[in-house]
Amino acid sequence: MAQVQPTDPKELVAAMAAGDSGAPLKEFYALYGSTVLALLTKMLGSRAEAEETLQDVFVELWRRAPEYDSSRGGVVAWVVTVARCRALDALRARKRRHGNDQLQFFSQRHGPNTDGGRPDVLVSSTRWHQALRQAFKSLSEDQRAVLELSYFLGKSHGEIAETLNLPVGTVKSRILAGMRELRMMLPIIHRSMVA
Amino acid sequence: MTDGKERAELLAALHAAGAASEEDEQELEALLEADPSLEAVVRDFQDSITALASSFEPLETSPKTLGKIQKKIAAEKGGLVSRLRAWFSNS
Repeated sequence: MAQVQPTDPKELVAAMAAGDSGAPLKEFYALYGSTVLALLTKMLGSRAEAEETLQDVFVELWRRAPEYDSSRGGVVAWVVTVARCRALDALRARKRRHGNDQLQFFSQRHGPNTDGGRPDVLVSSTRWHQALRQAFKSLSEDQRAVLELSYFLGKSHGEIAETLNLPVGTVKSRILAGMRELRMMLPIIHRSMVA
Repeated sequence: MTDGKERAELLAALHAAGAASEEDEQELEALLEADPSLEAVVRDFQDSITALASSFEPLETSPKTLGKIQKKIAAEKGGLVSRLRAWFSNS
């Protein structure tokens, strides 16, 4: 029996850009929904809030589909960028509501080996996810801390320096070192997927 | 590595990590205009951090969520159509 080929994500985005919120959106959601929900749950630390934000993320992706420019990056990068921005908005709103900084370190909130959700609702993990998590674990604690604060909690290098009581130059060096480390690991991960 | 290249790489890393200040972003923009090959460095860092962000164990979404998303979009579409109709009827 011939296997049904999944639609190219770029075609799905093009269909959404044309205003279609039916089958293309459904397929797009099936492709990225569970990954986005995992990211939102990690960033927000609340499954309920993540579910709410997930709706906003996909409405925004549909609305902004005409703006997607493949020359500036892949579809998954675009999806992750929109999801991250929405999660940071939610974190800032929470901070305003509570009047103090409710943000906690990722690793404090979830632990280094946690899976981010109840085991009964986990979608099966792929080798890709396992390899990536392994790569992230191989960053030094210092590098992980600055990347968590910057990328997942939206703090600038100045704020990170204040939070960690470090010189700004040290924060910048750690971010650069961490990013170099991640960049070096990517080809290895890609190769392991092909092997 | 030269100081200039090191500086450009640092700015690209800060940008991708979301830690760049407004001044950093402006400096990076200027460097990108002067040297488009820097785009590849930015792209590499962005791909790395995107991979990291999508590396968490996927979570099963509620079956109701897609329906809610489609309802919100339908409401937006309805709003847009109403606004267009009003605009055409007034013009």
